[in-house]
Amino acid sequence: MKAIESIPDSKLLLFKSCMVGQEYPGIETATSYVFDRLGVDYCVNDEQSCCTGIGHYTDVFEGLTTAAIAARNFAVAKKCGYPNITCLCSTCYAVNKDACELLNNNTEVREKVNSIFREKGLDDLVYEKGDMNPRTNIYHAVEVLLSKVSRIPDEKKFDFSGVKTASHHACHYYKVKYLDVVGNPENPQLIDTVAEACGASPVRWYEDRSLTCGMGFSQIHLNKNTSLQVTKAKLDSLQREGVELMLHMCPNCQIQYDRYQPVIEKEFGVEYDMVHMNIAQFVALSMGADPYKVCGFQTHSVPLEGFLEKMGII
Amino acid sequence: MIDGTTDRLNKAAVFICHCSGNISEHVDIDAVKKTLKAEGISVFDYEYLCSSQGQSLIKNKIMEGNLDRVVIGSCTPSKHGTLFKKCIQETGLNRAGLEIANLREQCAWVHPERTGATEKALSLLRAKLKRLENIEPLDEIKVDIAQQALVIGGGIAGITTALNLADNGISTFLVEKDSSIGGQMAKIGKIFSPDKLAEECAMCSLSPLMNEVAAHPKITLLTWTEVESLSGSAGNFTIRLKKKPRYVKDSCTACGRCSRVCPTLVEDEFNCGYMDKKAISLRFSQSVPKIYCIDPDYCLQLNGEACGKCADACKTGAIDFSQKEEIVELNVGAVVVATGFEEYDASQKPQYGYGIFENVLTQMELARVLGINGPTKGELLRISDFSKASAVPTPAACTSGRESSSAPSSDSSSDSSSDSSSDPSSALSPGAETPKRIVMIQCVGSRDEKEGGNRYCSRYCCMAALKHASLVKKKYPEMEITICYIDIRAFGFYENYYRAVQETGVNFVRGRPAEVVEKPDKSLVVRVEDTLSQKMRELPADLVVLSAAMTPSPGTRKIASVLNLSQDESGFIKERHSKLKPVDSSLDGIFVCGTAQSPKDVTDTIAQAGLAAIRARAFITDSPKMLDNEIAVINQVLCTRCGECLKCPFEALSLNESGRVVLDPLICTGCGYCTELCKDGAIQIAGFTKPQLKAEIEGVLEEGDVLGFVNSGISSLTCDNIGNSVLTYPSNVKLIKVPTCLVVDRDLVLHAFKHGASSVLFVEDPPDSPRAEIIYPLTTRHVEKLKEELGDSGNRIYFKKTYVPNTKGLAGTFIRLAREGEVIR
Ligand SMILES: Cc1cc2nc3c(=O)[nH]c(=O)nc-3n(C[C@H](O)[C@H](O)[C@H](O)COP(=O)(O)OP(=O)(O)OC[C@H]3O[C@@H](n4cnc5c(N)ncnc54)[C@H](O)[C@@H]3O)c2cc1C
Ligand code: SF4
Ligand code: SF4
Repeated sequence: MKAIESIPDSKLLLFKSCMVGQEYPGIETATSYVFDRLGVDYCVNDEQSCCTGIGHYTDVFEGLTTAAIAARNFAVAKKCGYPNITCLCSTCYAVNKDACELLNNNTEVREKVNSIFREKGLDDLVYEKGDMNPRTNIYHAVEVLLSKVSRIPDEKKFDFSGVKTASHHACHYYKVKYLDVVGNPENPQLIDTVAEACGASPVRWYEDRSLTCGMGFSQIHLNKNTSLQVTKAKLDSLQREGVELMLHMCPNCQIQYDRYQPVIEKEFGVEYDMVHMNIAQFVALSMGADPYKVCGFQTHSVPLEGFLEKMGII
Repeated sequence: MIDGTTDRLNKAAVFICHCSGNISEHVDIDAVKKTLKAEGISVFDYEYLCSSQGQSLIKNKIMEGNLDRVVIGSCTPSKHGTLFKKCIQETGLNRAGLEIANLREQCAWVHPERTGATEKALSLLRAKLKRLENIEPLDEIKVDIAQQALVIGGGIAGITTALNLADNGISTFLVEKDSSIGGQMAKIGKIFSPDKLAEECAMCSLSPLMNEVAAHPKITLLTWTEVESLSGSAGNFTIRLKKKPRYVKDSCTACGRCSRVCPTLVEDEFNCGYMDKKAISLRFSQSVPKIYCIDPDYCLQLNGEACGKCADACKTGAIDFSQKEEIVELNVGAVVVATGFEEYDASQKPQYGYGIFENVLTQMELARVLGINGPTKGELLRISDFSKASAVPTPAACTSGRESSSAPSSDSSSDSSSDSSSDPSSALSPGAETPKRIVMIQCVGSRDEKEGGNRYCSRYCCMAALKHASLVKKKYPEMEITICYIDIRAFGFYENYYRAVQETGVNFVRGRPAEVVEKPDKSLVVRVEDTLSQKMRELPADLVVLSAAMTPSPGTRKIASVLNLSQDESGFIKERHSKLKPVDSSLDGIFVCGTAQSPKDVTDTIAQAGLAAIRARAFITDSPKMLDNEIAVINQVLCTRCGECLKCPFEALSLNESGRVVLDPLICTGCGYCTELCKDGAIQIAGFTKPQLKAEIEGVLEEGDVLGFVNSGISSLTCDNIGNSVLTYPSNVKLIKVPTCLVVDRDLVLHAFKHGASSVLFVEDPPDSPRAEIIYPLTTRHVEKLKEELGDSGNRIYFKKTYVPNTKGLAGTFIRLAREGEVIR
């Protein structure tokens, strides 16, 4: 288990995510907004590239390329002096951790990657065994939020008391590296604890709490019906619980619920009352961030206006 | 006794054993005799010195020659050392006058070459003779052991231990933190047993034992009492106990009038909170002692509200609100810890819904529901169908016909006693239905590597699940029962029971369920992959029963820290050796048994408790205890009272009232750490003083030898085992036994180099026992320091940790060092 005290608050490379950037850019701006207010020392580096995650899981990029790209990103992080990679996306998180383990433990892969770098004159990218530690150099942004949770009430402008929220902890955070999770991986509480600090009332347990969002990377395209049925199962359970707001920590899950909720409603003839956002967007909102300029809610598919009006924010 | 001045050795003699060829075939005994005789030393040899004839020879020669020192050349002293010691003591010699040279395991058996072996034998004998030049008689240290025992925890383990001790004549105190003894066994209702297919009544076995405890003239029962602190040392512990006030005097007849009039309801822990009891109550009807007890947290009177209804109702005037907490101090020789277990907190696995869904319960809670003295009087109902407030217990009776409780007062009272309200009418909510389907989930919190789980198997729960399935099936044959398991562990004779339960039609699904889901009607669905058919299953259930792990009780964790006992990673109290010392704790004189030590059932608990009683009794009756005198001795003349030695890692040294440094002989392990701390040489290990070790070094060494200082424990055994395993090493490897290498200081190492040692090797025991865990790091640090201090010579110092099976490795080290020594030469 990862001790919450061990989460760093300085020298964090806020690792940009393709899915965040293209689908919900508000997640990144909201995270920056919150980190600024919580006194977190971080940097965003334009030299950093995609982790290949979606491409990797849809079989477009094979492992070696993914490892090489990770090695390059590690070099970027180290070079700018912000070696604590902090991901906005659970897939970036798991891919970086896996690649780091591979580069440390598999000499063949490491040498192959390095020989490509040398061949192309990119000697500054060469990865030496142990350059990065998968456990102590790679984090998820929610872990940082959680480590600062006691400071959230001081920065809070809005109180969300009485809002019934539910958390969807991303599989690639707590199932892939389950021995390296903050708290009990069978009952992750990261999002719930942070949401509670903003005044919300999280539903502690609901049916299918540990169910995947259903996306399964290629599955949403190849087996759309099964994929949506899985998503629906959880939405149904939350509807029964009377949940208003579902909180996420991964842009892929958020796409699956936010973009596809209207699709499911149409295709299955159902209706849901809940809206979606990332936990960083929620914390930013509670700290008084602009719902559009900072949180970027205009890019969401399930409109948030009703919720924001009810809360008296707009 | 010591003539000390001239002709130091003319009262010494050497005895050499042939060991029927074992020694004489490799060592030229005649040559040895000739050489020594030429030096004016009397030497005798015999075929078997350990035989009674051999011993007579030794004794006769001692008497005839008026000898005061004897060297015996024979097998390893760990084999016949005690025998030879007794032999020379019978002639009136002090045991300091005996030295044994190991001519077999560390000479004849390991050096096939006759000349080498003979030379080495000579040097070993010479070293021992030299050592004897400086003998100082060893005093016998005797310690009186307090002739009483303390047992902590009054579950079946503590009860069994106390009765066994008392039946063996030992005065025993039994301390229980609750208001009654009985522990968890009192709650479980029926018990499975290895030899029967029927379930027995737990209370029928337990209750007579509890009454026996109360009536035993040698047992003092202290309930509602906790251990505050322990001081002193093995054999003479001082225990401070805190006896909480019951607010009810011993004159209580347990008629129950007080409880009936008491207006205050309190959650009933005994019934897992499924029903309430009054602020004045008995833990359960057969409680021992059968004296009511007031819960100070809830009693109105004690919380400043005028009430006192119980006092008014009590006919014997037993209620006494003025009782105060008492501190009791006991002096005991031995302690047995039997503080038991608690059920794992299943809410740590929220996917099973414990604490979230009403109809999910643990096996212990099911045991209460099935108990005829439980919240539903034994009727099986969904938890959501009976409301707590209306549940009323009946006095416990015993279905198997035997009389269980002996206190007559309750039986004679008009409406047989009960410690809860006496309105029997409103039993259950209307419409309550017997559940039709039960699913049990095994290994909840056991065999679980995830965060919050325990890796071990809890040993009781497969059987408890089978037992409950069988009980329910007998009463409700239509009930559909499914047990989801990983493996069914029905060990030993329990397999018969497992088979019998299978035949009753209970279903078994192999798989660890993923989730329990609640439906709007409060019924449940268990989602599980049947790993035999590889199919996902959804098992509907009215009740889901979790077989929760056994974890150390809070009282066990607490007592481990109060007494400073080693625990395993789960918090159970760790035994010293799982096979050879299964009930000895990490501290001498403190024993452990039952579920405080590891998960187990009643059968195993009772067996282990019996052993704990025997071990405690043996410890106590071995009084006065003769102590190994190879422990620290303080020379008060040399001692400057600087206090350096108080850093003893075992805290055996302290300053007494007059400022003198004093040693607790029961605590001292003789490790020798203090001898290095004392700059004035005032503290030495008896039998291993610096002059003695110097003499042995001088006697044993020839130019170019490898000198090994060997820990007298496991390391010595391993050295002997090299001989037993027919391995060999060069005869210029010489070994000197020391309590630990901490007694070998810089001076001694320099002395060894001066007398020809090519290298010095320290052979140490691994940190595998509580004692070695403390000593080992000190030895590594000590050797590091020696190496640093001695500069170039430091490079000739080596260190090796040795395990008994590692004879090859150790012999290899000897060979390597001997070769290096040759190169240097
Ligand atoms: C549901 C269930 C069903 C079971 N069924 C069976 C069965 O059918 N057959 C079978 O063989 N086994 C069964 N077992 C196992 C059985 O209950 C245990 O093996 C047995 O009770 C262990 O006894 P114990 O004395 O070691 O511990 P406990 O019964 O826990 O007794 C410990 C006692 O020590 C006291 N105590 C604790 N700490 C302190 C302290 N610091 N100071 C003073 N006192 C203290 C406690 O109050 C308690 O009275 C079952 C267990 C469970 C949970
Ligand atoms: S004084 Fe306390 S115990 Fe006695 S009846 Fe009142 S509340 Fe109950
Ligand atoms: S006894 Fe059975 S249920 Fe209990 S932990 Fe062991 S295998 Fe699991």
